[in-house]
Amino acid sequence: MIRMVADDLYQIGECVDGRHGHEAVRFYVLTNDGRPILIDCGSQLFRSESMKQLDQVLEGSTPEFVFLTHSELPHSGNLESIARNWPHIHVMVSSILIRHIEIAPVLPLEQIVAASPGTTLQIAGRELNFLDALLKDQPGSQWIYDPKTGTLFTGDGFGYYHPAEVCEQFSDEVEGGILEQWFTTYHRDAFRFLRWVNPKKLNDVLDELYQRRDVKTIAPIHGNAIRGDILEHVDRLKRAITAICMQHRKEGINLR
Amino acid sequence: MSVKVFGDGVSRVGVREITSGIFWITHCLGDHAKDHYSDYFGLLSNAEDYVSNRIVDYPFSAFLILDEKSLLIDTGAPAQRANTLAALDTLLGSHALDYLWISHIELPHAGNAVAIQRKYPGAELITVGGGDDSYYALHGLEDAMLVSVGDIIKLGKHSIEMVDPLFLDHGNSQWLYERTTGFLFTADWGHNLHEPSRNQCFQFVDEMENSGYTDELFVDDVAVNAWYQFPWLAWTDPDEIAAGVDRLFKQYDVRIFAPSHGNLIRKDVGRYAALLKEGTRKAVEMPHRFAV
Repeated sequence: MIRMVADDLYQIGECVDGRHGHEAVRFYVLTNDGRPILIDCGSQLFRSESMKQLDQVLEGSTPEFVFLTHSELPHSGNLESIARNWPHIHVMVSSILIRHIEIAPVLPLEQIVAASPGTTLQIAGRELNFLDALLKDQPGSQWIYDPKTGTLFTGDGFGYYHPAEVCEQFSDEVEGGILEQWFTTYHRDAFRFLRWVNPKKLNDVLDELYQRRDVKTIAPIHGNAIRGDILEHVDRLKRAITAICMQHRKEGINLR
Repeated sequence: MSVKVFGDGVSRVGVREITSGIFWITHCLGDHAKDHYSDYFGLLSNAEDYVSNRIVDYPFSAFLILDEKSLLIDTGAPAQRANTLAALDTLLGSHALDYLWISHIELPHAGNAVAIQRKYPGAELITVGGGDDSYYALHGLEDAMLVSVGDIIKLGKHSIEMVDPLFLDHGNSQWLYERTTGFLFTADWGHNLHEPSRNQCFQFVDEMENSGYTDELFVDDVAVNAWYQFPWLAWTDPDEIAAGVDRLFKQYDVRIFAPSHGNLIRKDVGRYAALLKEGTRKAVEMPHRFAV
């Protein structure tokens, strides 16, 4: 599935079906005036379809960078195909990620570039901000903010399980938007460290992020882009985090 | 110290017997560590408190239990694939690999699962339950035997028990305890660092003490690694975290402490349990500044 999110931002990818409903596995492309940038590169499960869709979006242009929010297979599963098609491409990862270990050795190490959290860089002529991922399932996770489109790429954060009938819909096309419960079930599975967490402390940092950045679109990998009503969706995620943490407290954080 | 080393640099793998029938299969960079980790402490706001002018190195480990049935704990990363397979071949000889147990799906832990299964097609893949079919398909772990905390698999004299992973990054993770030897595998928690220039590669922690490694350095290393590995500690209560460590060592009679990314502890585990608690608590209390 290819969908234009906003301006020069496109979303690609498929869904898988599980016990909590559908889970999206997306990646994004900024066409960027003929100097495309990919954010993640999709799952190997959908390699053939995803590579075709990527070709369609690129319209013959050569991607210059893949930013990996992190390096698990659902996010980097097509890196080998991308390296084969565009051998001069560079991969940009968090400086916390250990490049010779945590990235499949499909490109020379010199083409794996590290960005430190908190830095602003001009990449392929575009200013981008590299941030700490606040919800990490791998230490070398990063979130990326694109000031031009106001998009925050959040990796696994803001993922959600959804019913089959809204697979292709952005939040503003779903009646009522993305439900708190959809965030809750996903984040409970993905971030089991929440058993230890005081939700207020985490939610305060989320607030700081959204106060500082003019976010118009949230682009999760395991959900469709969230467009509009951003602060309402942030509030829903915060309530979901609080509910998960409280449930863990109720069940006890002792060894199980 | 008897270590068989395969390869060099980013592909190097060393093999050392830990106790009868349990082997450490580990990658670290040795003389090349300075090229990769010279700025390891770079994100810390008070790095000088921890660096001590050390050029550190960082292991990535798998473990093999050889018994009537054999079991491999994690797989190592793709960059070390050829030498990991060579090490396995040497250790197994004519024996089959019966089980391949995966703690979680990151590349340093599961990145050679397909290659190992290709070489040892009879090896049964084991991983943590709780996901659904699509989850395992997405992560390349289709058809795995799924296990839960408390489940036991008998290998002969050895038997492994699945352990609740107290400190984790990836949502679907598990730790492991071997009941006969008291071997506790804790994946990403409880790491120290070592110095190649002091010949500390492949050493056990008690051996590192002979080349100047101290309790103070151990606590700092555990703290710094936890700070990097589990940034969510910033939002926790240090007393609860410390109590969790106490409960772990109360519940399991740990005689060998084996993290994925540190040197192994096989002596004075009780003393080191206290240091692990102190280091993890310290990680909670270290300054955390999130770049948002």
